[in-house]
Amino acid sequence: MSGFTSPDNVLLEMRGIGKTFPGVRALEGVHLAVKEGQVHALLGENGAGKSTLIKILSGAYAKDEGQILFEGQPVEIRGPHDAQALGISTIYQEFNLARDLTVAENVFLGHLPTRRARVDWSTVKARTREILDTLGVTFSVDAPISSLSVAEQQLVEIAKALNRKTRILVMDEPSALLGEKDLENLFRVVRSLQAQGIGIIYISHRLREIFALADEVTVLKDGRYISTQRVADVTMDDLVKLMIGRDLKDVYPKRTAEHGEVLLEVSGLSQSKLLRDISFQLHAGEIVGFAGIVGSGRTELARAIFGADPSSGEMRIAGKPFKPHSPAAAIRNGVALVTEDRKAQGLFLQLSVRINTTISGLRRLTRLGVINFGRELTLVKRMIQELRIKTPTPSFLVVNMSGGNQQKVVLARWLSVGTRIFLMDEPTRGIDVGSKSEIYQIMDQLTRQGVGIIMISSELPEVLGMSDRIMVMRQGRIVKELSRAEASEEAVMHFAVGSGGA
Amino acid sequence: MNAFISRVTARRSGALGVIGGSAIMGPLAALVLAIVVFATQSDKFLSGSNFSLILQQVMVVGTLAIGQTLIILTAGIDLSCSWIMALSTVMMTGLTMRTGVDPVVAIFLGLLVGMAFGLLNGWLVTAIRLPPFIVTLGTFSIATALVHIYTSETINRLPEAQTFLGNTFTLAGTDITYGSVVMLILYGIVWYVLRSTSAGRAVYAVGDNPEAARLAGINTNRVLMGVYATAGLFYAIAGLLLVARTGVGDPNSGGAGTQDNLAAITAVVLGGTSLFGGRGLIFGTLIGALIVGVFRNGLQLMGVESNYQVLITGVLVILAVAVDALSHRSK
Repeated sequence: MSGFTSPDNVLLEMRGIGKTFPGVRALEGVHLAVKEGQVHALLGENGAGKSTLIKILSGAYAKDEGQILFEGQPVEIRGPHDAQALGISTIYQEFNLARDLTVAENVFLGHLPTRRARVDWSTVKARTREILDTLGVTFSVDAPISSLSVAEQQLVEIAKALNRKTRILVMDEPSALLGEKDLENLFRVVRSLQAQGIGIIYISHRLREIFALADEVTVLKDGRYISTQRVADVTMDDLVKLMIGRDLKDVYPKRTAEHGEVLLEVSGLSQSKLLRDISFQLHAGEIVGFAGIVGSGRTELARAIFGADPSSGEMRIAGKPFKPHSPAAAIRNGVALVTEDRKAQGLFLQLSVRINTTISGLRRLTRLGVINFGRELTLVKRMIQELRIKTPTPSFLVVNMSGGNQQKVVLARWLSVGTRIFLMDEPTRGIDVGSKSEIYQIMDQLTRQGVGIIMISSELPEVLGMSDRIMVMRQGRIVKELSRAEASEEAVMHFAVGSGGA
Repeated sequence: MNAFISRVTARRSGALGVIGGSAIMGPLAALVLAIVVFATQSDKFLSGSNFSLILQQVMVVGTLAIGQTLIILTAGIDLSCSWIMALSTVMMTGLTMRTGVDPVVAIFLGLLVGMAFGLLNGWLVTAIRLPPFIVTLGTFSIATALVHIYTSETINRLPEAQTFLGNTFTLAGTDITYGSVVMLILYGIVWYVLRSTSAGRAVYAVGDNPEAARLAGINTNRVLMGVYATAGLFYAIAGLLLVARTGVGDPNSGGAGTQDNLAAITAVVLGGTSLFGGRGLIFGTLIGALIVGVFRNGLQLMGVESNYQVLITGVLVILAVAVDALSHRSK
């Protein structure tokens, strides 16, 4: 319990919060109390109401019921301005930064100090430097945002919040885009904010983080308040049960699929400085996990195999030479890529489930270029049923679906073209625990049908839980192959960060 | 009216089935409303011959707007459209009247010129990866210049073979121009292609998310080339309809008095097609073109001066986009 300055000093209290959208009861009777210098985790599946609650707190939505107390006094938050005046800052997953401006300009955006009608740049820079120093950050205050990594941009968001005398900092899945190393740095920063007496509301799907960081945890489910616990008093299993109503053991399926012949053979695959001499085999029915820190070359490897980027070296599929010059060529050979960023690279958000599902397999459904709508609809309906995609109709727009269901649509697309080799890059990123488990079940079933899966993941429990073998990558190379029996989080990290291996 | 339109558009995603998320009910409601309003203002408005006239007035812009819609669906824009049309027009008529080429062959060559310019736009957009706005701003000037280099005078006394689409036939006592039927047939063809073929799906996919389209196995460059070339062909067909309507090959037909360039974009926007690509229906554009036509015609019948007609068209565009934007923001 580090950093409790005054454990009983409740800074913010939300009582009996309710919110109804047309046709949806989003929140009902939700409580949340955050103390000074406390990291308070907010936990729940997608659709549990976390975002709605946070948006009410930050003034983006108006509550329908309930009361908000700040330092014991009832307050009304009618807009973002009211929230800011109280010292409530929110860092959303999508950062709110001007990419072409510098760090200092962003930190002061909207309230640049002036002296004789001119911007006082020396104060701006000095003050920004000061804040960055307290965060232990070394990058320049003159660096444009676009030159920074995601982790660094996140620190700029935190600096922005600190510059506004923040008392409560809301962090919406701050770890979603970070690798293990950046994550440790984020933890360090959060602890130092905590030591300054800032109350932190920390939203995350990752239970390990909650145990590493949080003092208390409030669990929501289906828009209702479930309970608030001291983290020290609960186990991971307890939290999962509270969140989804079943055991953690059941999340990963028991892997018993038999391994068949070699499906994909990669030898000496290289790509400028990003990939160096990669060689490995993937068997039918096998899941090979690729672990490593962000930037170790895993995504580049998947894209090279998929023909999305050029590479040199040799590949064979079921013994036949395979040289994909485009994704289209890879798809024809039964290879599919599930991209790490569903929304930017995987889906057509403004188009329907139907179009998203069949877009890659239209050749099978057309005659002289004309689509057979009957056969298309039959296929789409079958996929919706088999993968249990939650959608009112096949013509529902993908943009309105949850992350888990969107990912199922991506899988449906590839299943409908008879994919034999799946490249899955962070297949469960931003997906709630319930849907995650379903995705794992689907992966397991696929391998039973003789599909081979290359799974890239930054979540070690997932890598360990799903993989039959684990390849650890570092700086564009495979530095270690671990069997299921040899693998542990420590072993994987050991090779991934470079304290051992080839 | 706003509330009505947004209520209607809220239901759109389910009803339209295949290509969802396109606001066709809003534009349709606006068109019906406009017709009702003008019908109460002028007793000449609501007649078969007046509607035939509106169609005839709309056929050139309506055909231009088909090409423009295809390009906007891929998140592009084409500023050069009416000048590609003008170039095709003077080529068709000029080759016949000055060079003595067979009129039908000349029409073909004119259509080819339109397609070639479309291909040029497409090549610059895909191979050199320039923004469509910049590319077509450039080709807009090039086409304009080529038209005036080729001829500074109006080409007239055209053979029947080039103007017959301006003739009329009589249906239920109303004279209808062949050209307006051609336009409607073109809309039907494009509707079918966009809705029912894999090429049509590819257009929507590339417009919605080009990177995802590529990773889904679509040859995005080929799709874009096809779209720009097809658009060029439609501009040239619009040129043929223009020749039919006016009976001349006019080197100034690309701009100046007619304002067809912006009118085509206006029709697309009024028809609910998103300028960000991936969303829109071709019949929305037809409705958009008809809205423009109905307003011009109706205001004319009411005796409103032409400058005010243009002004009202401008207000209409902003209103339409505002309704669309607000209905999205409220989600």
